[in-house]
Amino acid sequence: MLATRLRFETLLSALSVGLNHVSAPDTGVAIERALRQVVTFLGVDRGGLDEHAEGRPRLHVSWARPGLEEPPPVTATDQFPWVSGRLREGEVVRFSRLAELPEAAAIDRASFERVGAGSQVLIPLRTGGPILGVLSFASVRAGLAWPDDLVERLRLLSEAFAGVLDRRRMELSLAERLRFEQLLSSLATAFSHLSAADFDPAVQHGLRQVVDFLGVDRGGLIEFTRDGTAARSWAVEEWMEVGEFPWMTARLQRGEVINVSQLEELPDEAAVDRQSYLLHRVKPQVAVPLLVSGIVVGGLVFSTVGAERARSDALIQQLHLLGGVFANALARKQGELEAQRLRQDLTHIGRVSALGELTASLAHELSQPLTAILSNAQTVQRLVAADVVNVDLESVREILNDIVADDKRAAAVINGLRALIKKGEPEFIPLDLNVIVGEVTWLLRSDAITRHVSMSLELAPDLPRVHGDRVQLQQVVLNLVLNGFEAMGEPHAGARTLVIRSARDGAATLRVTVQDSGPGIAEKDLGRIFEPLYTTKTEGLGMGLAIVRTIIYAHGGAVGAENNPQGGASLHVTLPVAPEGAQ
Amino acid sequence: MTAVAPLVLVVDDEPSVRKSLTRVLASAGYPVEAFASAREFLAREPHPGPCCLVLDVRMPGLTGIQLQELLAATGRRMSIVFVSGHADIRTSVKAMKAGAVDLLTKPVDAQDLIAAIQRAVTRDEHDRAAEARRAEVRRCVGRLTPRETEVFALVVTGLMNKQVGAALGIGEKTVKVHRARVMEKMRAGSVAELVRLADEAGVTVPQT
Repeated sequence: MLATRLRFETLLSALSVGLNHVSAPDTGVAIERALRQVVTFLGVDRGGLDEHAEGRPRLHVSWARPGLEEPPPVTATDQFPWVSGRLREGEVVRFSRLAELPEAAAIDRASFERVGAGSQVLIPLRTGGPILGVLSFASVRAGLAWPDDLVERLRLLSEAFAGVLDRRRMELSLAERLRFEQLLSSLATAFSHLSAADFDPAVQHGLRQVVDFLGVDRGGLIEFTRDGTAARSWAVEEWMEVGEFPWMTARLQRGEVINVSQLEELPDEAAVDRQSYLLHRVKPQVAVPLLVSGIVVGGLVFSTVGAERARSDALIQQLHLLGGVFANALARKQGELEAQRLRQDLTHIGRVSALGELTASLAHELSQPLTAILSNAQTVQRLVAADVVNVDLESVREILNDIVADDKRAAAVINGLRALIKKGEPEFIPLDLNVIVGEVTWLLRSDAITRHVSMSLELAPDLPRVHGDRVQLQQVVLNLVLNGFEAMGEPHAGARTLVIRSARDGAATLRVTVQDSGPGIAEKDLGRIFEPLYTTKTEGLGMGLAIVRTIIYAHGGAVGAENNPQGGASLHVTLPVAPEGAQ
Repeated sequence: MTAVAPLVLVVDDEPSVRKSLTRVLASAGYPVEAFASAREFLAREPHPGPCCLVLDVRMPGLTGIQLQELLAATGRRMSIVFVSGHADIRTSVKAMKAGAVDLLTKPVDAQDLIAAIQRAVTRDEHDRAAEARRAEVRRCVGRLTPRETEVFALVVTGLMNKQVGAALGIGEKTVKVHRARVMEKMRAGSVAELVRLADEAGVTVPQT
């Protein structure tokens, strides 16, 4: 008896040492070795350790004498409902024959019989908290007794196993937390450099990552508009239409967390939602609202197809953190769209206000062909009225040709104007910069005359095309030239000359320079003139050159300004040459 | 209307406008000469007969208004009809104050233009007649002797022969003789007419 006791103590300390320094990945092997030692020591047939874990893959290790089948986990509540109940209560379950099990354990008894357990002891594993798992030893033969002192010794032994499970749980949760942190930061990084155009694929990818991490089957992001109506949704495994889940959507919009694991938990008012769950064959879900500065901007929704799983507070906590990342992405996207709209409005305003300045010269520009048309037409009227017989058809033909030509000229003015006023989506196509410069300067001819500016073009021939929006680039040239005009406004002695130059600027870049003969730009202002609301002029908003910069940046180009050695300033923009295929 | 049709001179930098205005005026029976700039126009000899100028307000180089000022400054009086694509009030007032016949806005109706040209030509003819009269009066004044000129200048101020004589230190009779010669040389029938001629000729009282 003492010898047995001593052998057990030796085994216990050996196992404790052996199990103490096991790291998570080796746990299975170490436990299996320990089980074999105990089974051998006890002279039984089977030993097993079942981890009892929520929402995570559980550890199930067993060792059986050769030739014997390994038993199913005793934590499976459907096969061992009574036993698992007892164990959860912290009780040890033991029987030396199946008949000892009570009536209430009928299902359990059948299961034990099926796996061939004649006698068995099951010990709950715990380290102060809830049950961690179950240690069990069984003999195929019935009649093996489990006396109290043995059970007591096995309890001591179980602490070593419990310690392993506890450490494993902590290590796993640490590893999981680390993985979670990595997921958060990878999502945050992915979303931080997101343009509105890349939003959809990035969100899909992000949802997929989260779904994989959480071990769920479905994931979705809902975006709410400002007026509170649901706007759009993105989902992994396209399953979710916001309209199908009115109850959930309404609660999300109120900023509530939804955590429903059973269909039956849904209240009566969620009848539509219940129908949708059944239709999509998904289990009810967990959903968290996404908040930006206290306003609900959307919701993050997850759901499973397979087994229902309870969602712990820790999971909800994680979802809130993930929700923050998605909320920022939504806010950033909305902000970017807003900024884009503002930018378009701004360039539109810029164009329209520049047109205001141009009205006089445009009226002049239009009145010229109209004058010619009217005079020519009235000449024909006179010719026809004066002498119907002797009309000089040749001169009438010539006059009519002139009328048509002048009418086309007037139409060109109007079209140019229309293009400038047009407010719309930018359309990027390959463009000839020289043509754009030509179009704009043609409109500005009479403006130059009024301002006593001699305007000349020095355009490099055979320039490759750039990839850009016609209207926006016209705007750039318009603003640069108007800026040049204004730089040479009253009071200005000396010649007023403006040269617009186009040239290659390296292999893959073109440059347009507008050179004036004004007073030049103070050194301290050179770097700032393209900034919004920065103006050195008494009149003007200081938006003209800022709009130039905005447009050029959007075209992947650059802007610059310098003073000329002979006086005056030169402002330039550079634009990348369109790729070969786009020419 | 004079026997010779008055000449219309068109100055406009816009070729199609120049051409069409020339056409429509020609169809109305006017001889037309067109110029692309103020400088080109100034290079032409002044036309001796009745004429008028159709002038674009806004042109590169000298503008229409500047040309008007230049003509006035150099004593070349001309009847001007301005045409403008975009006439602001200040420019219009300036042009009209400086004696323009009219300022028409483009596109210009041929009827309006011809009517304005008609008025301009009438004014030109009137001005030319007045100018001719003034030249004639000045020619008559030129034929007066210095003493006669003195008498003329004093008579038209309303002085009696006696007063004139006292002022010039000569006898009343002598004044009477000079005065008769003045009336004859100036082809005036009465003192009132003499006063009007003096006015036209710009004769002033000599300082005594």
